[in-house]
Amino acid sequence: MLFNSLSFVVFLVIVLVLYYSKLFNWTNKKRMLLLASYVFYGLWNPPLVILLWISTVVDWTAGKRLALEDNPQKRKLWLLLSMFVNLGFLAFFKYGDFLLENFVSVVNSMGVDFQAMPMDIILPMGISFYTFQTMSYTIDMYNRKIEPAKTFLDFALYVTFFPQLVAGPIVRAKDLITQFYEEKRATYNQFVWGIFLLTIGVFQKIVLADTLLSGVADDVFGSSKLLHGVDAWTGTLAFSGQIFFDFAGYSTCAIGIALMLGIILPDNFRYPYASLGFSDLWGRWHISLSTWLRDYLYIPLGGNRYGITRMYVALMLTMLLGGLWHGAAWTFMVWGGLHGTYLILEKLQKRYVPFKITKWNGIFLAFITFSCVNITWVFFRAREFDTAWNMIKSMFYMQPGGEKILDSFNIVKVCAVIGILFMCHWIMRNTSMREVSLKTTPWVLGVFWAILFFLIVIAQGSGEQFIYFQF
Amino acid sequence: MNLKKSLIIAFVISAIAIIAWELFWRSQDYSPTIDDNKALWSVQRDRVTDLTPNNVILMGSSRTLFDIQLDNWENETGKRPIQLANVGSSPLPIFHDIVENTNYTGTAIVGVAPGLFFSTTFPKAEPWAWPQSRVDHYKARTYAQRINHQLSLPLQQSLALMSAGEQELDDNIDLKALLKRITFGNRIPEGMPPFYEFGEITSLDRNLQMMEKTVKDTAFANTIIEVWKFFGRVSPPPDKEATMAFFLKDVEKFKARGGNLILIRCPSSGGVRAGENQAFPRKDYWDQLVLQANVKAYHFEDYEQLKNLKCPEWSHLSVNDARFFTNELAKIMISDNAITNLKTN
Repeated sequence: MLFNSLSFVVFLVIVLVLYYSKLFNWTNKKRMLLLASYVFYGLWNPPLVILLWISTVVDWTAGKRLALEDNPQKRKLWLLLSMFVNLGFLAFFKYGDFLLENFVSVVNSMGVDFQAMPMDIILPMGISFYTFQTMSYTIDMYNRKIEPAKTFLDFALYVTFFPQLVAGPIVRAKDLITQFYEEKRATYNQFVWGIFLLTIGVFQKIVLADTLLSGVADDVFGSSKLLHGVDAWTGTLAFSGQIFFDFAGYSTCAIGIALMLGIILPDNFRYPYASLGFSDLWGRWHISLSTWLRDYLYIPLGGNRYGITRMYVALMLTMLLGGLWHGAAWTFMVWGGLHGTYLILEKLQKRYVPFKITKWNGIFLAFITFSCVNITWVFFRAREFDTAWNMIKSMFYMQPGGEKILDSFNIVKVCAVIGILFMCHWIMRNTSMREVSLKTTPWVLGVFWAILFFLIVIAQGSGEQFIYFQF
Repeated sequence: MNLKKSLIIAFVISAIAIIAWELFWRSQDYSPTIDDNKALWSVQRDRVTDLTPNNVILMGSSRTLFDIQLDNWENETGKRPIQLANVGSSPLPIFHDIVENTNYTGTAIVGVAPGLFFSTTFPKAEPWAWPQSRVDHYKARTYAQRINHQLSLPLQQSLALMSAGEQELDDNIDLKALLKRITFGNRIPEGMPPFYEFGEITSLDRNLQMMEKTVKDTAFANTIIEVWKFFGRVSPPPDKEATMAFFLKDVEKFKARGGNLILIRCPSSGGVRAGENQAFPRKDYWDQLVLQANVKAYHFEDYEQLKNLKCPEWSHLSVNDARFFTNELAKIMISDNAITNLKTN
């Protein structure tokens, strides 16, 4: 079920009515939320709910055993069981075809004539999100960083909580499970703020991502021709905005919906396109994933504890695997590799050519960071390397002889939207929407809210999927 | 922070703005319409599973949609057909789906609009990709999508502002379509002339009728004619060999299991007919197809009462002519024993 769909509106109203009715006690409300979450997921593909159940039962059992067990060997085995099941699901469902294709290529390159039947495996929606979330529980249990969930119901709801089930934020057990222990009710202000966040999120998705930007990005990246530089840059900027609005829109909806239930989810984006460098970027973009990768991959790989070279290797490996997390294709690895390279270069710059960031050079630095990020999006969006290379050639050599496929209005439209996006991020980078709203008069906020809602209505989204569902 | 006040202000202004928007578009002659989208098509496709040999399925391009009126067909034959034709598309992927993925053994009527029927078998070409996307949607649609469709129907039937169509025509009034109308500069060559909606769905089982404006407003009809001329100029040459081979393979399979296939050629007139006669001479295309398929076939030119029907925009019949055409065609088929008359009186 999509947040930007009519069925979700009906679903949410029913859930809220049941949640705030006096029919149920807190335990039964949690049961209702769990059932609703399975319905939310099952309305997409019912049999795949079984994967959620398996993940839940395996990690609940592993977590329970890890809490009781003192034998280090047995503890390791329980952790491995959890990792094997969750990473096994990912390997089979997400990377099965990719692994098979690459195996065939390697075998063929060795002169062996082998062709495999494509497995055509269906990718369960949000599998990368919920497997990472549930793995964090068992890893934290193994490291004795958290207490086990009090009941199976609390744990199952943690794995399946519908607002963030299919596209995050990836929430840690200590931040979410504990919220289920006591009855939660949103205050009046929290509830209304939740509706406002839901409006903002849907606006980002339907109006900004789908209506204003997706068409240009699709046209440019769908073209097999060598494009004019202006078209290539416009298409890349359009995708840059589209993926931000799409994904941040989903996270904002998720946070808003949870808030309407009185549950607090962490921020997932903090105005990333005004980042001052790449360390700053990864502290602002998909924060729940970057902190997950930091805590469960980068630090176990050594982090900065074993010298500079090892740190750079750990950083690069983390970013490469982070790229692969997004999709089973080499283009995603290149995307991750570019970000790894940026981070290493930034660390080298800070070590050998340090300079102070002022308000004068800050916006320039933010612009440079944003431009470099745009280059990585080319590899993220292009389905094939040929398309990506054509785009890069057009962007850097400008290709005045390249094909023009965008009309002037579309170029102006994309540049205006992205220009406003960049300036908004720059202005907001040290504050939050909540803080700004506190300083805004109710009239201005109300009119702004009405404009967003009106534009959502007249944009009439066709219920397109969020991009991150495929990850 | 007084969120309550903001919420009330937002609610009131939104309600006023939406009502004003609706009234404005109604004052511009817009009225609530049902979008002929993949969800609507899938509901009809789903009905094929339960059909008996007495049923009739219609496949083809827009001419089959415009020219066969379901009420009239039902009145003449006693059975309401399932409408699976699609605008601007080849019927081949749909017929292929029916042959391969169902056990249907009733009557399949396939409309042959030469420019589309013989166009291509290339999966990414628009006349193929468009209908195939509907077949794919039918197979993959989720329960959530089915519910969304059912929930959207009352809104589509009540609000003129719900105009976002899958075809993204130039007179849609959703935000994307409104922005598309803004153009300046001449950075890229002019593409297709503006293409406006000239038919409307009148029932949930996809009965389509030509809008009255198309019949009465010659200037409007001419805008549609310009689009046909554009397609005539830019369409790639037909791929008769591949399309015939693909279709005939399915025909054999369908006939072998007892299916009754009928081919029809709906009227065209003016420049479109002249263009078709030139690019798709009857003896080389229609006659060859009928000969090799070896099934009952009905060409409008062969019937005195049908051969002079005029299409307001050269390619589709007005509502009144479509009703006449449907009645006459059904009578001809019944008298020819091509279909069974199931009328009880």
